[in-house]
Amino acid sequence: MPDGSANSRCRSWTIGMIKLIHLTKIYKGLHAVDDLNLEVKEGTLFGFLGPNGAGKTTTIKMMAGILKPTSGSILINGMDLAKEPQKVKQCVGFIPDRPYLYEKLTGMEFMKFIAGLYGMDHARATEERIHHLLDLFDLAHWRDELIESYSHGMKQRLVMGSALLPRPKVLVVDEPMVGLDPRGSRLVKDIFMEESRRKTTLFMSTHSLEVAAEVCQEIAIIQAGKIIARGSAEELKKAAGVEGSLESVFLKLTEGKRIAHATPLSASQS
Amino acid sequence: MRRLCLLLSPRIWGFRNGLSNAGGKSRKRTFVMVLVGLAFWALLFGLSFRVLKYFQSVEVIGDVLAHHLLGMILMVFFSLLIFSHIVTALSTLYLSSDLELCHACPAAVEEVFLSRAVYTVMDSSWMVIVFGFPVMMAYAFVFNPGFGFYFSLLHMGLGVTLIAAGIGILITMILVRIFPAQRTRDVIMLLGVCGLGGLYMMFRLLRPERLVDPDAFFSIAQYMAALQGPDSPYLPTHWMTETLWAYLSGSSGKEALFHCGLLWSTAGALAVINVWVAEAIYFSGFSRSQEAKRRRAGKKLLDFFIALVKWPFKAEIGAIIDKDLRAFFRDNTQWSQLLLLGALVVVYVYNFSVLPLDKSPIRIDFLQNEIAFFNVGLAGFVLSAVSVRFIFPAVSSEGAAFWIVQSSPVPLKRFLWTKFALYLLPMLVLGEVLIVLTNHLLEVTPFMMALSSVTMFLAVFGIVALGVGMGAMFPNFKHQNIAQVATGFGGLMFMILSAAFVALVVVLEAGPVYVLVMAQIRGIPVAGWQWFLIVLSFSAVLFIMVAAVYKPMKIGLKALSEHE
Repeated sequence: MPDGSANSRCRSWTIGMIKLIHLTKIYKGLHAVDDLNLEVKEGTLFGFLGPNGAGKTTTIKMMAGILKPTSGSILINGMDLAKEPQKVKQCVGFIPDRPYLYEKLTGMEFMKFIAGLYGMDHARATEERIHHLLDLFDLAHWRDELIESYSHGMKQRLVMGSALLPRPKVLVVDEPMVGLDPRGSRLVKDIFMEESRRKTTLFMSTHSLEVAAEVCQEIAIIQAGKIIARGSAEELKKAAGVEGSLESVFLKLTEGKRIAHATPLSASQS
Repeated sequence: MRRLCLLLSPRIWGFRNGLSNAGGKSRKRTFVMVLVGLAFWALLFGLSFRVLKYFQSVEVIGDVLAHHLLGMILMVFFSLLIFSHIVTALSTLYLSSDLELCHACPAAVEEVFLSRAVYTVMDSSWMVIVFGFPVMMAYAFVFNPGFGFYFSLLHMGLGVTLIAAGIGILITMILVRIFPAQRTRDVIMLLGVCGLGGLYMMFRLLRPERLVDPDAFFSIAQYMAALQGPDSPYLPTHWMTETLWAYLSGSSGKEALFHCGLLWSTAGALAVINVWVAEAIYFSGFSRSQEAKRRRAGKKLLDFFIALVKWPFKAEIGAIIDKDLRAFFRDNTQWSQLLLLGALVVVYVYNFSVLPLDKSPIRIDFLQNEIAFFNVGLAGFVLSAVSVRFIFPAVSSEGAAFWIVQSSPVPLKRFLWTKFALYLLPMLVLGEVLIVLTNHLLEVTPFMMALSSVTMFLAVFGIVALGVGMGAMFPNFKHQNIAQVATGFGGLMFMILSAAFVALVVVLEAGPVYVLVMAQIRGIPVAGWQWFLIVLSFSAVLFIMVAAVYKPMKIGLKALSEHE
């Protein structure tokens, strides 16, 4: 790629862009993530649902390389995160639920900082992409202001812009709509769907069932560290035997006992 | 009153839960902290005791000196308390994250204000009281006063603290009325640092050591005039000094009751005034502190400087250096401390220019070289103290944004070595300036100049690596203020290890240096076995220096990789 983006350094791996194999995380005896197996194909917009404390953020943090799994492995773009962390992270963009940033940098400087971390050169193309993303996320007027004067929503949009900057093959997103106004929320949904069309794989945890129903092609529901159901919204409704909204499906599936998987998990665990 | 108690309860419950939930690691840390604290107390007590005993042995003016010293100590504590209350009040009254909840409660403004004022007094006073206790006990041991001294010390100490709190909180409320809270913090820190630096330099340039040498003055009148501190009968410290001195000197103390009355009525009046002022301006100040301000960043000069510094490095390293330098120079509480550092260097070098070497019975050329050698140790300790403030918090300075580095393709090893590289050059410059300038003033031999410069050059690598490595071992990404990081357990451990490292280098080099300097002065050759020991000592020094760079960085990297 002529712009020196990080994506140009990621080789392509078409099937099973994300693979979680027997992924387990134990905190002081508590199984936050319990023997999780999952595969997400390239270009999929994958929704990760679950009640509070189900293990969503822990799974996502492990995928972003922030937490070490107790056991199991994470394969992204065909590479093992534990064995080749730098190569894997080069292909992954991470958007956390809370946008903690360097408050004493300006929005523009923060984007340049991220470009530097991903080894993107200071070529004109990189500058242009930064300007394009700041424009896209409606931050162009604020680019020379210190981040400390940004609102929560602006910080969240800046994090999203910075995550897209190196053109990652995989976007790992934790609760993307927190703190966004309806316009920001619409913008983010459109960008995610556009990225998915460009074959970027999105792995997104959310509490918002409307968001999941609207944008996700595939959904997994996690409870007590284990996946209890997986499939498209329609498949989940069928499996739960519920007519109506995804909310009813979610409530039915997470009401206590585990029910049959919408699609057999073994089929997706190659 | 019930609501006031409720507003205070989170702090009490939090403290109780902290104690009951403390794990084994936390208990060990507390144990080490208590041990070091006790050692510090013992040292301060011993020092004060010796000084007071010496004063007692000086005829006529001994008691005058002890009396004035008491006044000066109380005055310093009082000033520190006021400054400490100003800084703390800003956080507890305006910037704490739990304030929104408190103001949303159905509690009166004065109740919220009073509960936060109590927090302010608790947070600001403990350190001064801890430091003051051994000094006051030294007075008690030397002068053997009666029960009245201890009683007055307790209640008047509390009274003076409350007056300092009243003044500090009042100043903060007025400042926040003028500036927004965020700006007020910067203004206070800047004024505080400039004031402290100026006071430190002024105090040193007055050469207080001459006060224990009356021969240095032309007449007793001039000497007594020099002793007069900045005292006034209107100051609360004066009332406390006079009351305590009455008990210490065994005089009648007729005015004690009058002074107590003055002290407590002032404290009470200040409390009432504070509540009145709070009712009028506290909430509007708090409300203003919530409003976001657009802050444009000053750039041109900083851009040029940063481009120059990061020019030799790769993009990833350059990005981290760029970010760290911008964050440092845009944080007024950070860069302003460079002014304090400048004052420290000036006073350090000045001390060497006024050394009374001519009064020593030892040969001047020997003394000059010995002082120059031990100066390496002294400068090493100064660098350790600077490092604990600037380098030890380098990893923690990432704060809650550390996830950005963790999730980026930059290996943590490169991240840590970048921090090392960033701090190495300024520390080398500081170390060499301290050594070369003082050696120049001491007129040492070229051999001593070369040895001390090279030793300092290599020791800086060890001190910086210890700072970065131990900062990675004890990271604190949840700090409210980066200055807090240095005062924790990790900072204490760094100071101990860094001082031990410097001391070890000095001890190992002491023997060879003595042999070589004496051989040079006396013109006698160095024996073969002495050369063997010299080579052995310098090899050991080199080995320790390499280990001091390699080991902490390795352990720090491992700890940071496992950080969750």
